[in-house]
Amino acid sequence: MANSSGQDIVSDLPQSIIEIILTKLPIRDAVRTSILSSRWRYKWATLTQLVFDDNCVSQFNDRTATENKLVKFITRFLFLHEGPIHKFTLSTYYLQSSPDIDQWLLFLSRKGIKELVLEVGEDEWFRAPSCLFACLKLTSLELLRCELDPPPEFRGFSCLKYLNLQQVLVAPEVIENLISGCPLLESLTLSYFDSLALTVRAPNLKYLKLEGEFKDICLEYTPLLVVISVAMYMTDDKTEHFEQSSGCNFDKFLGGVPCLEKLTGQIYFTKYMSIGYELGKVPLTYDHLKLIQLYQVSFEDMKEILVVLRLILSSPNLQELQISSSSNAIAASEASDLNFWETDCPTGFTLKKLKTVKMSDLSGVPHEMEFLKFLLKNSPVLEVMSILPGIYVSCGKLNVVIELLRFRRASAKAEIIFIRDQM
Amino acid sequence: MSEPDLQITKVEKTGPYVWIQTADGSIHEVEKEVASFCPLICHEIESGVGYSKDYPIALPPRVNPAMLSLILDYCQFHYVAGHSNKERRSFDEKFSHMDTKRLCELTSAADSLQFKSLVDLTSRALARMIEGKTPDEIRETFHLPDDLTEEEKLEPLKNTTDDPRIRLLNRLYARKRKELIDRQKLKNEAEVEHEDDRSVDDLLSFINGKDGDSKEVRSSKNKKKSRKKKNQPKNHPPSCSSPNGNASSNTGNRLSLEEEFDDCDIDDEIDPALKEKLDREVEDFARRLNSDWPERMQEILSSGQERGPGPVSSTAIDPSINVQE
Repeated sequence: MANSSGQDIVSDLPQSIIEIILTKLPIRDAVRTSILSSRWRYKWATLTQLVFDDNCVSQFNDRTATENKLVKFITRFLFLHEGPIHKFTLSTYYLQSSPDIDQWLLFLSRKGIKELVLEVGEDEWFRAPSCLFACLKLTSLELLRCELDPPPEFRGFSCLKYLNLQQVLVAPEVIENLISGCPLLESLTLSYFDSLALTVRAPNLKYLKLEGEFKDICLEYTPLLVVISVAMYMTDDKTEHFEQSSGCNFDKFLGGVPCLEKLTGQIYFTKYMSIGYELGKVPLTYDHLKLIQLYQVSFEDMKEILVVLRLILSSPNLQELQISSSSNAIAASEASDLNFWETDCPTGFTLKKLKTVKMSDLSGVPHEMEFLKFLLKNSPVLEVMSILPGIYVSCGKLNVVIELLRFRRASAKAEIIFIRDQM
Repeated sequence: MSEPDLQITKVEKTGPYVWIQTADGSIHEVEKEVASFCPLICHEIESGVGYSKDYPIALPPRVNPAMLSLILDYCQFHYVAGHSNKERRSFDEKFSHMDTKRLCELTSAADSLQFKSLVDLTSRALARMIEGKTPDEIRETFHLPDDLTEEEKLEPLKNTTDDPRIRLLNRLYARKRKELIDRQKLKNEAEVEHEDDRSVDDLLSFINGKDGDSKEVRSSKNKKKSRKKKNQPKNHPPSCSSPNGNASSNTGNRLSLEEEFDDCDIDDEIDPALKEKLDREVEDFARRLNSDWPERMQEILSSGQERGPGPVSSTAIDPSINVQE
């Protein structure tokens, strides 16, 4: 594809473009451009975005040799580097906790590092050195498999906007202080924590993602929260949770998020939210909530159904609802409280904006059907309702369809789509 | 995104065409809707320029008419609704397969128009041309001058990469450098009489069969001082007799030399053609050096006897040659 005129144009491109090009190369190739010509000798040395991973060095069966090579590579690279470093990603299987990483972090803290991603080792957890807490210009921090123990004088990252901690060993007060110490924090992700009890105070927080086993979460002050995504695991001994939490979980979690636009809850989320439900106060209205996704809702537990209803009915502008059920028709006992739907269910309530409903893993238990009936009856602008039956429902499918056909629909446009076999 | 909506309402208000002037002075009439998706043009339109031929939007110098038409093609395809993502991706693919000259010009033009998505696309295409290629291939693609001085190339690359190809290059350059130095010394030696100021050690090792690559041997000996002496027994080919014998033992020595350079556990993937060339060069050099071997031999033996036995190490090298009087 060479041109015929034979002119060296590419070296004349502005350094900012050369850096864009070099950043799109694996770092090894970027460094190798130094022997192309005299003008290219140091073009790589001012890169501000560095990504190091196990592909930087050729790999051998001997793990120690590879580890040493990787350490040498990164150390020499940093030594020859000029200018600021804004983004540093280290993602490696080989390196464990090592004094070299500590030195690199010290170096980075002097280079104005803004975005840092550290994912090291697999066996031991890497202990974050105190130099990490000296990187005060950080705007984005992502740590995996790490032990965090900030020094007592650490007050937080004043510029931090994005925080992602996965499998991080840290005391709960430390996380709370960290969150409070980052006033600009907009996005928080906490994954794979064990038994974490957390109170979140983050005035600018917009995105929250939690995954793991949480004992107790209280969103005490998060007025700007827009998107919440929770995957909540619980230990087998669920009663332990009932005893431990005090007050209404629903209020503690969703009581202070008026700007919420999207809510996703998985696994035991609705169960968690149902704890202490009866103690709930007057519900908050979520005027901006447009999408609700609740997975693994147990339609055999009345309290969980109440949680779902409360959410739906507090969201006048809800447009899309996705629910999956964790009920199992074969194992279901006789449904109790079926007359709830006739008597206690709030009436005269229309879901004025609800257009799409998707219900998966339907097994046909009575409460599920009543729920769908409720939705169809009260959604005047509904366009599509998709139903996916659960895998274990084999002979009951036809009954489900027959029942669905009977339900009254408030919307003339509503289409009920029954998706038969996914496999 | 909301921005295109904003543009479209503006389009309805003020007519469908704008005038754009490129650096060479030519003025082009372009559909406004399409041109507005380029940020700089959009900005200019908003500030009221370009509605008539007399007040065209002036583009920065890096945008010539050919580039302008490419950029407008890009806008046309991408920002008009109705193309699926797959279609867009295949368009991008085809778009980025132009020759390097045009690609560079386009990147430059897009950059001056602050057209980030197009800069991204072209940069990615350029990066693809660099990734995984050898330096020579890259130089050929981009017509880069191979103008690093011998010195700079010979400096082992202090940077970081342990890529076997770079290490090979270092090794080859180191060897070449030695040859250059040796040839220089040879020249000097030819001017001065065969005045030998080598140490007795070296002479003895010279005699003892490090035939021909005496200078290389010296450095290899130095290297040996910092390493184990395990190579010594290996550097013991049959004593020199004919140039042919020298040549073969040169290669023998060369191999052991390579082991010395092998500071790590990397395979020696020397390009066979290059290896052959270097072998030949070293052979030549060795032959030249050995051409006056018989006279040398006489000199050395006579001077060796006067000086008496050498240091212990030299006798240890090759017991077969007895230097004691």
